[in-house]
Amino acid sequence: MNAVSSAPILKIANVVAGYTAGHPVLRGVNLIAQPGHITGVLGPNGAGKSTLLRAIAGFLQPSSGRIVLGDEDIAALPPHRHMERRIALLPQGRSTFPELTVAENIELGGWTMRGDRARLRQAVEAMFARYPHLRALRDRPAGSLSGGQQRAVEIARLVIGDPKVLLIDEPSVGLSPIVAAQVYRELEALKAEGRTILLVDQDVRAAIKIADYAYVLSSGRNDIEGDRSAFEGDLGVMVRRWLGV
Amino acid sequence: MLDRLAFIITDGILLGLIYAIAGLGLSLVLGIMGIVNVAHSAFIMLGSFFAFELFRRLGLDPIISFFLAMPVFFLLGTIVYRALLTRIERVSQSQGLVAMFGLMVLIENLSTIAWTTDTRVITAAYTNASLVLGSLYIAQVKLIAGALALVLTLLFWAFLRFTLIGRAIRAMGQNRDAALSVGIDVRRLSAVVFGLGIACAGAAGVALAMVFPFSPNTQIQWLAWAFLVVILGGLGSVANTLIAGLIIGLLQSLSTAFLPFDYVYLVLYVLLAVILVLRREGLTLVVKRAI
Repeated sequence: MNAVSSAPILKIANVVAGYTAGHPVLRGVNLIAQPGHITGVLGPNGAGKSTLLRAIAGFLQPSSGRIVLGDEDIAALPPHRHMERRIALLPQGRSTFPELTVAENIELGGWTMRGDRARLRQAVEAMFARYPHLRALRDRPAGSLSGGQQRAVEIARLVIGDPKVLLIDEPSVGLSPIVAAQVYRELEALKAEGRTILLVDQDVRAAIKIADYAYVLSSGRNDIEGDRSAFEGDLGVMVRRWLGV
Repeated sequence: MLDRLAFIITDGILLGLIYAIAGLGLSLVLGIMGIVNVAHSAFIMLGSFFAFELFRRLGLDPIISFFLAMPVFFLLGTIVYRALLTRIERVSQSQGLVAMFGLMVLIENLSTIAWTTDTRVITAAYTNASLVLGSLYIAQVKLIAGALALVLTLLFWAFLRFTLIGRAIRAMGQNRDAALSVGIDVRRLSAVVFGLGIACAGAAGVALAMVFPFSPNTQIQWLAWAFLVVILGGLGSVANTLIAGLIIGLLQSLSTAFLPFDYVYLVLYVLLAVILVLRREGLTLVVKRAI
C-alpha cells in the first residue's frame, strides 16, 4: 500500500438513497474518507449508517448525489464491480458461505484473481500465514465455526483481494468482548498497512477509540463531525441524546 | 426368487440413475436461484425429441446425442434465461411460477404441433439386446442409459466441488450478497446455472428416450418424477439427489414386480404426498437449504 496522502480517497456528496421510492433513508449525506485513515460513521438506530455503506458498496443506487472513489463516480457501479476497484464491504452479521470450507471461503475472496490460479493459491496461503489460527480450520465448513472464527474468515476473505478501501459494518456485533477487541486490533493493523477504513459501529466508544475522524448521522442527515479529540469525553452525552434520555 | 430379486434391484438402480439426472437440473436451479422451474420437464421432453430427430434424420446413436445435448441445451438454457428469467427475477415467486408454467405450456403445444401426440421410441442397435450375467438378464439399453446418467451425475458433483466456478455457484446459493461483495457477477453466473440445469434436463431426456416411449404429453409425468427426486433428496447435495433417484427407481421397480401395473404410479404419488405431509414446508424448506 502507498503512503498516506491528503487527497480524499472516497467522497460522498449529497447522497440521497432509500429502499422505497419517495422515502429516502439518506437525505443528502456528505462525507470524506482520507486515505490510510479510519473514518467512523456513528449514529442512533435508523440514522442510515448501514444504508450508507450499502449505497457505497453498490447494493443500493442513490437517487441523487455522488460517490467518488479517487476520480471515478461509482454511484451507479454494480456491487460485483467494486472489488476490481479495490473497495470491499464487510457486511453486518454473518456473511460467510456456511457450507464451503474456510479455505474455499478465503479463495472466493480472491475471485478477481481467478485468471491466475497460481497467484490465487499463493494469496490463500498468504492469508493462512497472516491468520495462522485459521490454518487448522481450513477444511472445516465455515458455518461450523464460532462467531469469532467466522469473523476472522470474513476478514481474511476481505483482505485477500488487497482492498484499498474497506467498508466495515458493525464488526463486533454478536462477538464476546475479547474477540471484539481482537477485531478492532485487526482493523488498526489494516490501517497501519495504509488501507482506508469506513467504519459503521453502534459501539461508539470502541469506534472513537480507533477512528481518526468521525461523522454522526441523524435521520439520514449529517449531524456533527470531528476528529477523535472532538468526541472523547462526550460519548455518554452523545449516546444519551440518541436515546432521548 | 433370488434371480428375480437381483433383476428387480438392478433394474431399479438403473432407472434410479436416470431419474436422478431428471431431478438434478431442477434441484440446481431451485437451490441456487430459488426458481421453481416447472418448465424443466418440457426441456426433458425436448431432449427426447432432440435424440429422436438426430436418430431419425442422421442415424445418430443416442449415446452421442446424450453428449451433444449438453452444450446444445446449455445454450438454450442461457438464451431462455436472458430472454425470460432476467425479466421475472424481481417479481414474486408466484408470478415467476406462472411465467415458467406458461413456458411449459408453450413448449408442449409447439412440440405437439411439430411432432403430434403420437408416442415415439428410439430403437438403437442395442435396444432389444440383453447382457447376461449368470442367470441375470440386464437390458443393455438400461445399462447404457444408467451409466450415462451416472457419468453426468459425477461430472456435476466434480464440477460443483472441485472447480472455482462450481464453488462460486454454491457460494451464490448460500449468500448472494456476500457473493456479490467478493466480485462474483451473480447475474452472469445465474445464466450459467440455468444453462446447466437445462443441459441436465436435455441429457436426461435423451437417457429417458432410450428406455421409455415418449410424446409431448409425457413431460408431465417427468415433472412429477423430477419434483419427487427434489423433494425426497432436498437440495443438500448432488449425492442426495442421486440417492433420491435410486430410491424412486427401486420403489418403481419393486412396485412393478409385485403390484398390478395400475398401482405403480399410485405408490409413487402416495410417496410424494407422504413426504409433503411429513415435511410440511415442502418446497419452501427445500429452497431454504443451499446446494
